[in-house]
Amino acid sequence: MILIQSPKVRSFIRFVVPFVVIPLIVLWGAVVFDRKKHIIISLAVAFFALLLFASGFERKSTGSRRLVIVAVMTALCFAGRFIPFLKPIAALTIITALYLGGEAGFLVGALSAVLSNFYFGQGPWTAFQMLAWGMIGFIAGILAEPLKRNRWLLLIYGAVSGVAYSMIMDIWTVMWYAEKFNFTLYKGALITALPYTLSYACSNVIFLFALAPSFGKKLGRIKKKYGV
Amino acid sequence: MTFFVKVLQIQSIVHCLIYIDLLILSFSSLNPAVITVWFLSVSAIAMFCNHPVITILTLTGAVLFYLIRNKNGHLRSHLFFLVLFLILSIANPIVSHNGATVLFVMNNNPVTLESLLYGINSSAMIVGVLYLLRSFTQIMTSEKLLYVTGRLSPKLSMILSMAIRFVPLFSKQGQKVNDTQKVLGLYKDDNFIDDIKGHIRVFSIVSTWGLENGIITADSMEARGYGTGRRTQMTRFGFTFSDGAVLAASLVLTALCAAAVAAGKISFNFYPRLISSEFGFMGIVGSAAYALLVFMPLLIETEVKLRWNYLMSKD
Repeated sequence: MILIQSPKVRSFIRFVVPFVVIPLIVLWGAVVFDRKKHIIISLAVAFFALLLFASGFERKSTGSRRLVIVAVMTALCFAGRFIPFLKPIAALTIITALYLGGEAGFLVGALSAVLSNFYFGQGPWTAFQMLAWGMIGFIAGILAEPLKRNRWLLLIYGAVSGVAYSMIMDIWTVMWYAEKFNFTLYKGALITALPYTLSYACSNVIFLFALAPSFGKKLGRIKKKYGV
Repeated sequence: MTFFVKVLQIQSIVHCLIYIDLLILSFSSLNPAVITVWFLSVSAIAMFCNHPVITILTLTGAVLFYLIRNKNGHLRSHLFFLVLFLILSIANPIVSHNGATVLFVMNNNPVTLESLLYGINSSAMIVGVLYLLRSFTQIMTSEKLLYVTGRLSPKLSMILSMAIRFVPLFSKQGQKVNDTQKVLGLYKDDNFIDDIKGHIRVFSIVSTWGLENGIITADSMEARGYGTGRRTQMTRFGFTFSDGAVLAASLVLTALCAAAVAAGKISFNFYPRLISSEFGFMGIVGSAAYALLVFMPLLIETEVKLRWNYLMSKD
């Protein structure tokens, strides 16, 4: 594992990787090249997710406790993906990010995608799911303070991120099928995906409404009791 | 009696061959890293290059490999892929009206031959890659993938393996909590609202338990010296001579094909008219290399089967 020693470099990477590097790679792969470079994109995204992780987690005594909490949340997300129609992954990712920070949220989102795809099928889309869910978690981590204070804001964030997730995944669908990005196809994909979009947005709102306060209490308690 | 002697002989031959690393038992028994490299290179080329020759090779190779592994089963998957193929093929000519050869006009929009062929080519590529990924998911069990990721990042691999372990643990504990709650008379199944409330409570209990249990696990791991040495694996995936040979072959064939694709020798334009690039020597070598690459697992499996039959039919 790459360990980054200087805290300045760490915080630099923490912001540059998710907001500049990963979107740039995705766009570069999608727009600049005529041909499809999804495998390279997925590898790059996976690599930078790793780097982000390295920047967040130092090798300290609480390190492995934090790792295990992330593993527990990932397992809950994976188990939740089997619920029909409702998808709690994004909601649980957001909750983790609120109470354990952006990197933990990124990890839970990204790793749940990898893990659940053992069952639902791995593919190049795994990378896009990793990116989409990871970013939902990471942004929630940045907005943690206002989101924790205002419950309505949290629910709106959940709904918006559900719609955004569906739209990101449709970009990927279109790019895989057509060589260049085709707006007509994208519109078609968005319309056919409407039930899914609704399901994502609704389940985010429902699960955030139902789980956020109680999970906040649980995670807060663990944090206080064990100093994670 | 002679039968047993024969079986023993065969066994000893097989053992000898395993011992000197020359026998590949099957493609799926190769080192996981080698299998990953093969899958990555085949699907990368299949998705980069939209030349119909590459697409056809991918589709045939992927379907045959899936069939040889699963025999006649999984009819539903085949049906699903067929329907997907048809839908994706029709989607393109309906939305895209590029192309010079108009077949007919629908709702004042021309439906062109080029866009139909483009749709068929794209969907054949997608279905081919999906078949490949099905086989990949079957071969690469989570343990093998952890072996591969563990080399890259032990911590990440640890989270994944713990999460995999937590899932059955949670469902087991959830069942226990559920039973206890029911016996205590806290909720009934036949009342809908009561049922939902009860399940939410069980979920809450299990997640609290999971978090606490996780911390204890972490402390225990720390106490036993987690992270002080290299991560080991329950199953030993040795790197044998045949692994090396297959790895080298995949890399060389991929490089040959990638060079031909990068040089523009294997490219195809659908719009406005169908134009294939001049293959030339490099293009032919590249396509042949890709064909060999795609059919490599099939060749290995067939060779293994033939050798087995030969050994069984001896004397």
